Amino acid sequence: MPAPARGTSTSTSSGSDRRRDASMVLLTSLGEDSLDAGYARAAERRRLGAEPARHGGTVLAAGLLAVGLLLATSAVQAHDRLSSTAQARTALTSEIEDRSAVNAALEETLAQQRSAVSEARRAGLRITAQGSRLARQLATLESATGAGEVSGPGMSVRLTETGTGSDDDPDVDPRTSDATAGRVSDRDLQTVVNEVWAAGAEAVAVNEQRLTAVSAIRSAGEAVLVDFRPLSPPYDVQAIGPPAMRTRFVDGFGGSYLQVLRDYGIDFTVEDRDEVVLPASAGLSLRYATTSTDVPSGATQERVERRDDR
Amino acid sequence: MIAAIGLVLGIVAGLFLEPTVPLWLQPYLPIAVVAALDAVFGGLRALLDGIFDDRVFVVSFVGNVLVAAVIVYLGDQLGVGSQLSTGVVVVLGIRIFSNAAAIRRHLFSA
Repeated sequence: MPAPARGTSTSTSSGSDRRRDASMVLLTSLGEDSLDAGYARAAERRRLGAEPARHGGTVLAAGLLAVGLLLATSAVQAHDRLSSTAQARTALTSEIEDRSAVNAALEETLAQQRSAVSEARRAGLRITAQGSRLARQLATLESATGAGEVSGPGMSVRLTETGTGSDDDPDVDPRTSDATAGRVSDRDLQTVVNEVWAAGAEAVAVNEQRLTAVSAIRSAGEAVLVDFRPLSPPYDVQAIGPPAMRTRFVDGFGGSYLQVLRDYGIDFTVEDRDEVVLPASAGLSLRYATTSTDVPSGATQERVERRDDR
Repeated sequence: MIAAIGLVLGIVAGLFLEPTVPLWLQPYLPIAVVAALDAVFGGLRALLDGIFDDRVFVVSFVGNVLVAAVIVYLGDQLGVGSQLSTGVVVVLGIRIFSNAAAIRRHLFSA
């Protein structure tokens, strides 16, 4: 039977020869044998006079030096690790900001160059009669496809996140919580845009991002992307179309969809605009399709014009 | 006295020399620290119990650190590194606590 525990105050069933907690001997021994048995043995040896007592020797000093070295080194390590993480984060953040600024500047330049090119092209085409016809056709095509800026009467649908959703709570991890209430998702924006097209819009832009036939509305994380450009709320869908467009949109599926969204904490306003200016799409490029060398003049223009009297 | 000088010297050396820990050794550093703390608290308790022995202290310190590192290394090789280090930390943590409790009883008799 086990000897009485050394220097502990755990309850042993005195009297009986079997400890009540004998079944969890692993756990109790953890708490009771916390002192290295070597100390007791060394004390025993000293008591018997086998070895002289040693205190404060160089062995101890060396051991404590090692202890101190270990503690200080790990402290320095932990500190370094923390600060290097923070450093990497700030470095990455500033790099992202720098690159975004460069991107914005490049986009600006691109837009300027594009307008300069189209200006020059227009000037060049104006020299001949056929050229000016081509220029008109080009302008129409550009407007219809989204490659050129357009303006006209229309409407705007504004989606505002009222923030009543629960994920304004900073404690909620946005990756794990599925609390998307109160946030405009890419699906919402897709539906609204499709309904705007269905209501007769000829040109649509979301937050100054013109939509073309090859535009995509997607999401990455919590951000909604249009043509891979992240948008920030509120979302403003602007469209150019006939005067009846607004009532058609509000009375149709788009209106009822927005009514449902209102229950999820997304507010909306639909209003007519006398003059809507939609910018040219920055992301319009064809990768596979090419124009046949002799453009049939007029044919495409006719189709575009037919859309107008819908 | 010479022991205290050793401890202070070690800490100062660690803080100012900033010895670079090789990358392969870094995962074992936290476990080694916990093992070292266990040895230190055990030594303190033995000192208060009046049975302190410097050789036992040094051997238990070195042994603890090495065994803890070896266990974690083995666990890493077997793919259960985090579980084993949790186990080591739990066992050593309980020992540290009960030693600290014994020290507290010695010092404050409570």
